Amino acid sequence: MIRIKSNQSFFTVSRHDRNLFLLLLPTAVVVVGLLLITFLLISSRASEAVKTYGLSLYVTSAWDPERERYGLFVPLAGTLVTSAIAALTALLLSLSLSIVVSEFLRGAVRNFLSTIIEFMSGLPTVIYALWGVQYAAPVIRDYVMLPLHKYLGFIPLFACEPLSGYSVLSAGLVIGISIVPYVTSLICESYMLVPTAYREACLGIGATRYETTKILLGLCRPAVIAAVVLGLARAMGETTIAAALVGNSMTISYCVFMPSYTVSALIAAQYGNAQLYMYAESVLYSAALAILILALVLSLTGLTLLSKWRSKVLA
Amino acid sequence: MHRIRVIKDRLFTFYVVITSALALIPSLHLISVIILRGVEVLSEAGIKFLVDLPPTPLSTQVGGIAPSLLGTFMLTAIALPTTTLIAIFAAVMNNEFPNNPISRILDVTLRSFASIPTIVVSMTVYLLVVIPMGGYSAIASSIALAIIALPYAYTIISAALGQVPHTYREAAYALGMSRWMMIYKVIIPIARRMLAGGILITMARIMGETAALIFTAGRFRTGLTLSPNQPVDAIPLLIFDYALTPYPVMHKVAWGAALILLLIYLITFLSLKVLVKEVKL
Repeated sequence: MIRIKSNQSFFTVSRHDRNLFLLLLPTAVVVVGLLLITFLLISSRASEAVKTYGLSLYVTSAWDPERERYGLFVPLAGTLVTSAIAALTALLLSLSLSIVVSEFLRGAVRNFLSTIIEFMSGLPTVIYALWGVQYAAPVIRDYVMLPLHKYLGFIPLFACEPLSGYSVLSAGLVIGISIVPYVTSLICESYMLVPTAYREACLGIGATRYETTKILLGLCRPAVIAAVVLGLARAMGETTIAAALVGNSMTISYCVFMPSYTVSALIAAQYGNAQLYMYAESVLYSAALAILILALVLSLTGLTLLSKWRSKVLA
Repeated sequence: MHRIRVIKDRLFTFYVVITSALALIPSLHLISVIILRGVEVLSEAGIKFLVDLPPTPLSTQVGGIAPSLLGTFMLTAIALPTTTLIAIFAAVMNNEFPNNPISRILDVTLRSFASIPTIVVSMTVYLLVVIPMGGYSAIASSIALAIIALPYAYTIISAALGQVPHTYREAAYALGMSRWMMIYKVIIPIARRMLAGGILITMARIMGETAALIFTAGRFRTGLTLSPNQPVDAIPLLIFDYALTPYPVMHKVAWGAALILLLIYLITFLSLKVLVKEVKL
């Protein structure tokens, strides 16, 4: 088969091709420029606060614009804990859901369920926020937080009396529920890629369904880890659900029943008035920079893991 | 030995079924609650829900969401073509010159866009557009939405163009077509179904986005405007704001608006399913 090579270097291609390339070049310049400008703008705005407050900006905790005292420890820790709870919830639920979809069900039922999951993965998150405020938060307080406090109260995580449904735990659980469809579809996609020969081998030696699933899942462990890392990155940037459920309070506590802040909730709540004060805006940009870098690193890690695993399986 | 294996298998099945039910129940409850509460509100407000202004906090009338509805359509009308066009150019570049360093940088850049938290995009657009223009506007909001939807549009369009079999290219070249003619007359027409599907997914993403609008839209809810340099509102932003107020009448409006948003999304999703059998979100 004659293949038209599209991988010739730029200077040896024909005049037509070169013109096409030049025609498309502005798109590339605009897009790459936009990412660079975003980074430069945020870091330059953030540098003022970092210079003024130094490291204490990230390890202390305060939000007092009147006296220009700021510390981002609570929102940063809140973001990490909330997205960790979300990722764990999503892992626990998605793993089972993907096993049901790809192992237990066949034919029309499977198609129906995967269509439902696909439908849910595109639902606007603001709908989860509305539902979280009005339904999930009270239910989580009555049926998750109170029993945990009553029976496992000796663990510091559950030590404090749950006052309202607005807490790190509720925000984490609802964000977790909202990313279940995304993580599930990532896991299912990878699970389907495992060559049939392995399944046949398992069934051939008389393995039960549990043993088969365990072996097949073991084969796609890197892909499952990648799916959770990508889910973590998504949970970290989630704004609407976090702002609605995390309780917006600058309290330091080990306890996941306390209201707290996440970086995106802090920005959503405070950026509007931040221009009135000297450093408030810059402090918010340094918080944004921190989660921007974290989310970028996490999703690049996830994508690299996934593509490495895929090329290994497909090879 | 055999018994233990069977028991293990049963326990595993039990666990998996229970946790999958746990995974599905919240989302199904969410959808049914939106339908129940939304229908309740819509039947109370009637057709006026689509043409009236939102209520004041102490009003007894539900009113409507006309400014947000109009705003959502206007923002989509500006942001969707913009982001689609850029995504098609970028996808063609990546598809035609895959080993050129510039297209590789473009590819990595666009993929990293997907991981920028949307609220950060909102802050950046605030600095780049809202402050220079002197106020919130539909233009600023559409730019923010276009940036957020770009990686989604690019990924799907790129996949759509990439799956056109190589033999069609060869046939086009054999007829003496230039590369541009080949893309325009052969590749894009063959990939058109999947392209249309990609555009629908992008549209759903744009219509459901909230955080990007927080510092760009300006929440104009007291009238109707079609001017792109004036503040606007959108349905998700209205739901977000009203969900956090303590007033019951505003919660009602939020549920009604959530049902409208769900219906718009459902229509988009169903057209996507009719159009393309297998497209991943």
